[in-house]
Amino acid sequence: MVQYQEQLDQAFAALADPTRRGILERLGRGRATISELAEPFGISLTGLKKHVQVLEDADLVRTEKVGRTRWCSLGPQDLGEVQRWIVGYRLMLDERLDRLGELLERTEGENA
Amino acid sequence: MTQQQAQNHVAAEGDREIVTERVFDAPRELVFRAFVDPELIPQWWGRRADTTTVDKMDVRVGGDWRFVTEGPDGTHAFRGTYRAVDPPERLEQTFEWEGMPGHVVVETATFEDLGGRTKVTTRSLFHTTEERDGMLSSGMEIGLAESYEKLDELLAGGSED
Repeated sequence: MVQYQEQLDQAFAALADPTRRGILERLGRGRATISELAEPFGISLTGLKKHVQVLEDADLVRTEKVGRTRWCSLGPQDLGEVQRWIVGYRLMLDERLDRLGELLERTEGENA
Repeated sequence: MTQQQAQNHVAAEGDREIVTERVFDAPRELVFRAFVDPELIPQWWGRRADTTTVDKMDVRVGGDWRFVTEGPDGTHAFRGTYRAVDPPERLEQTFEWEGMPGHVVVETATFEDLGGRTKVTTRSLFHTTEERDGMLSSGMEIGLAESYEKLDELLAGGSED
C-alpha cells in the first residue's frame, strides 16, 4: 500500500507538467524516439530526456535502446485514460485559480 | 512572489463531488466578472503554459460556451452550457473536454462577500462515480497535501483564518 502510494505520488508529480502530459499523450498513440518526441515541443533533446527520465522513474514510460536510437513507450504504470483526464482536470482547476488570483492582484493594482 | 491571499482546500463531498475554496483579495463583483467577461477569460482560464481563446461565450441560462487552449501538448477545446447565472453570487455550468466526450463535469462557483475580499467555492460534480473515484485514487490526496503546503506558504505572513 505504501509502495502504491509512492507510485501515485511519483505519477502525480510526473503529470504536473504539460510537456510530460504531452509526452504521455503522444506515446498513447504509439512508441517514439527521443527526437520524435522533442520536435513538437520545441525543446532540446537534453531537456526532453530529463522529462522522459521523470516519467521513467514513475514507471509511466519505459525506454529501450536499439542501436543508437532510444525508443520510448508507455510504461507499466498506466493510469488509464479516465484517470489521466481527471488528474489533468484537477491540475487545470488549480492553475486556473492561481492565475485568477494573479489577475485580480494586477487589476486591483490598476484600480488603486 | 504570489501575494494573493488565498485559502485553498479540497474535500470530497457527497458521492462524486470535488470542492475547492479560495479567498481572493478583491471585491465580489470583480471576481464574478472574471468568470463571465470574455475579455478577462483568456487572462486566467487554462493552464499557465496555455493560450486560451474564447470561441463562444453566451452567459445566460442555457447559453453555450467553448474555449480553445493552445499549449505545449497541443490544441484542446472545452465546452459546456451555463445552467445558472446569478451575479454576483453564483455561476453554474457544465464542462466537457472535447477530447473525451461524454465525461461531463457540472461546475458550480459561489462567491461570498467577505467585505472587500471574496471567498470562491468551486464544486465539480463528476458524471459518474467511477470518474470521481479515479481522481481520489490517482493523486487527489497528494494534490490536497500540496494545496495545504501552498496555503501554508501563502498564509505565512498573513492573518488568514
